[in-house]
Amino acid sequence: MNCEDFREYFDAYLSKELPPRTGRVVLRHVEGCPLCAAELAARARVRGALQAAVRATPVPDGLEAKVVRAVRTQHARMRAGRYTIVVAAAAMICLAIVNLWRMKSGSEEAILRKSSGRLAAVLNVGLRDHLQCAVFRKYSRQPEGAAQIASDLGPAFAGLAPLLQAKLPPEIHILQAHHCTAGGRQYVHFIMAGGGKLLSLILTRRQPGESLGGGIDQAGVDRFQVVGFESQDYLAYVVSDLDAQQNLRLAASLAPAVRDYLAAHAG
Amino acid sequence: MGVLFSKHPRTAEFEEAALPHLPELYRTAARLLGDSAQAEDVVQETCLQAWKSFGRFAPGTNCRAWLFKILLHTVHRHRRQRFRSRLAKESEEILEQAAAALPAVPERITEEEILRALARMPAEYRAAVLLADVEEFSYQEIAGLLNVPIGTVMSRLSRGRKLLREQLRELARSYGIGPAGLEGRRG
Repeated sequence: MNCEDFREYFDAYLSKELPPRTGRVVLRHVEGCPLCAAELAARARVRGALQAAVRATPVPDGLEAKVVRAVRTQHARMRAGRYTIVVAAAAMICLAIVNLWRMKSGSEEAILRKSSGRLAAVLNVGLRDHLQCAVFRKYSRQPEGAAQIASDLGPAFAGLAPLLQAKLPPEIHILQAHHCTAGGRQYVHFIMAGGGKLLSLILTRRQPGESLGGGIDQAGVDRFQVVGFESQDYLAYVVSDLDAQQNLRLAASLAPAVRDYLAAHAG
Repeated sequence: MGVLFSKHPRTAEFEEAALPHLPELYRTAARLLGDSAQAEDVVQETCLQAWKSFGRFAPGTNCRAWLFKILLHTVHRHRRQRFRSRLAKESEEILEQAAAALPAVPERITEEEILRALARMPAEYRAAVLLADVEEFSYQEIAGLLNVPIGTVMSRLSRGRKLLREQLRELARSYGIGPAGLEGRRG
């Protein structure tokens, strides 16, 4: 190796990056070569001067305080942010609970619970079916048509639909009619709507001991008005969100036709 | 939830580990950026970044190297490309001119002279030289800090150190010191 080859190792030697054996070889050459010794010394001098100059760079007095302040501020912000998230989450949970409570309080069971004591048990029968079929179940707001209604009602009750329609105010239409079951009891259910109001006529076979005393009974619970009347074998209900007087008038206008029809066709 | 409600999630531990390294972080940033105010901002940004990711720092490992890695990344983002390009071009010209015989490196090198020579180096070379010759990281550590192969580190160091010496020799010539022509002469 010549001097130039040895000098390739000088910086690595000064950086202690050479394997010990190579380092010893370099050192041996330098000890016998004044020019390389001078070059190695020059490089060490440059390195020393660089270290001294850079390390003498004055560090601003407030740097540490500035960094500590920045970190702690960030820490505080992060904690505040986390607490905000916790508070927001808690608020959302509370809101969800309130909404759930409100939904439950507006549910069929909740309405029926409110009705206990205010509505005779017999009237409650009609309200339950109205809530189940007309209020809480999705159904088309478009009338299904006379043929479909007749088909759904079957021969025993198909003839009642046109009689009802004839007695209803002109803005009220029968949307659909069906046989249904609620609380283990069977019903014939006409769902009607018009003028932003929803109405049901509900028929169910009278069970032993059930009676409205031969007349018309009426009660209101929540936003619903229930009027009950009876035939020999059936209990009939008009349930709606009309006001009490309107609902009573409507039931009174329907009752004779319904009683007559039931007596003649569904006895 | 433990972290969420803990009073000081590792902030005290972070301060204890990181704050002793502030002077070396600052001086490296200052020499790489050539601007003390910007260096202060970069050090602060580095510390904030390090604090945020302190959860990923394994206690007992090299905190200094970890902080330098974040610092170099932050400096890299701050550095202006045009500034770096201009210096790189100038530096290559200096290396080409150095083929001619130049005086020896002066016996006495002032702080101002060496810092001026350092400032004129391309940033890539300057970073490598600072990390090796001032902060005394190993070549392998520098490769990790700069995210480059060790061969690149050695190449940058070789060119950077040579540039530094050439500039100091230029300085000696401007002072009228006679040529010694040590470097490049065959023994």
